[in-house]
Parts: sequence; C-alpha cells; structure tokens
Amino acid sequence: MAQNNLSNQIRRLRFEHDEMTQQQLADKVGVTRQTIIAIEAGKYAPSLPLAFRIARTFCLPIETVFQYKDEDTKTHTDTTRFAP
Amino acid sequence: MLGMTVLFTILHILIFSQMFSYGPISVKIIRTWCLLILLFMVTSVLWLNSKRSRAEVVSDERDSTIKKKAVLISFASLWILSFAAPIVPTRIVGDSGSIPVCLLPIINFGLFLVAMMVYSVAVLVQYGWGGKDGTE
Repeated sequence: MAQNNLSNQIRRLRFEHDEMTQQQLADKVGVTRQTIIAIEAGKYAPSLPLAFRIARTFCLPIETVFQYKDEDTKTHTDTTRFAP
Repeated sequence: MLGMTVLFTILHILIFSQMFSYGPISVKIIRTWCLLILLFMVTSVLWLNSKRSRAEVVSDERDSTIKKKAVLISFASLWILSFAAPIVPTRIVGDSGSIPVCLLPIINFGLFLVAMMVYSVAVLVQYGWGGKDGTE
C-alpha cells in the first residue's frame, strides 16, 4: 500500500518549533488532532493540500516534511537528482 | 444518515402500527413511542450542535474519507443481503410454501438495521486503524 511507503518528520519538526503540540498544529492546518496523530503514525496519507499546509506551517518544502519510498526502497528526498 | 434513520424508523413504526392496529391502545402506545424517539433524536442533535464551538474543527478530510468508505461497505453489504434474504424463507418453507405478508417489512427493517450496523462497525474499524488517541 502507498500509505506504508509514506514517512514524515512531523513529530521531530513539532518539537523543533517550540515543542508545538499536536492540537496547535491541527488548529493551524485546520484538521482534528486525531488526524495529526494518524499522519504522524503513518496510518493515514494526507491529501496534497493538507500536506502543503503542514509543510508551510513549518516553513519548509513539502519533500522535507514527507518522504515517499518506492518498491526499490529509494527515498525520493534528494531534489538535486532531478534538477536539470 | 440521521435523516435516513429517522425516516426509516417512522416508516416502519407506521407500518407496524398499521399491522397491529387491533385496538386503540396499541396504536396509541406505538404512536407515543414514535413521537418519543423522534423527539429524542431531534433534541440530541440540537444539544450537540449547541455545545459545539464555532472555531473548533470537528470534522476533516480523514473523517469524510472514513465515512465515504463506510457508506460504500454498507451499501455493498445491503446489496448482498438483499439478494440473500429471499433465500432464507425459501429454504425454511420450501419452494411452494407461503409466509405471512407481515414478515416482509420485518425482513426489510432487519436488512436496514444490518446495513446500519455494518456502517457503524466499518467506521469504528477505520478509526481504530488510524491510531489510538494520543498513545501513538
């Protein structure tokens, strides 16, 4: 399943941003705390708009917050590989 | 979904009230129960809405996804049961047997209840998969 291939750094980023609570992040991006819990645990893959809202809350690009691993277990985080 | 529940409840209670309308007391009891159930549902919804804060997010994309999946599962089970339900009386009374007509609304109501139960279980299971509250 695609959800298992999706990992994120939300928990680490929350603590780096003045130990932001799950509720504070949920209020900022307009979802419930349960959704943040599910995303952090990797049980729920957020929609693209929500992923962008979360990334913008931390003032980071989306690929820094979310990582997608394909079947070959290659992490697509290195953006320089795709640069022309 | 709540509207459908209310509608089906009223509809079936009215059917049952027609079925058992042998005496005026039974009809009065059934109508009173119908009114009480309706009042309870309306009051509950109004009370829950009044307690909700406007700024608080109570439902988001994950909730709607879960509900959509649960509705799909519920409809699928309803279709399967609708086709399976006529087999049960046929098996019991045989191909040329007969059953009372009053059983038909009961079967119909039973199917609706099963579909609602499947919907509820599907919602609970999906929320369960989403992680326990605050522990993960």
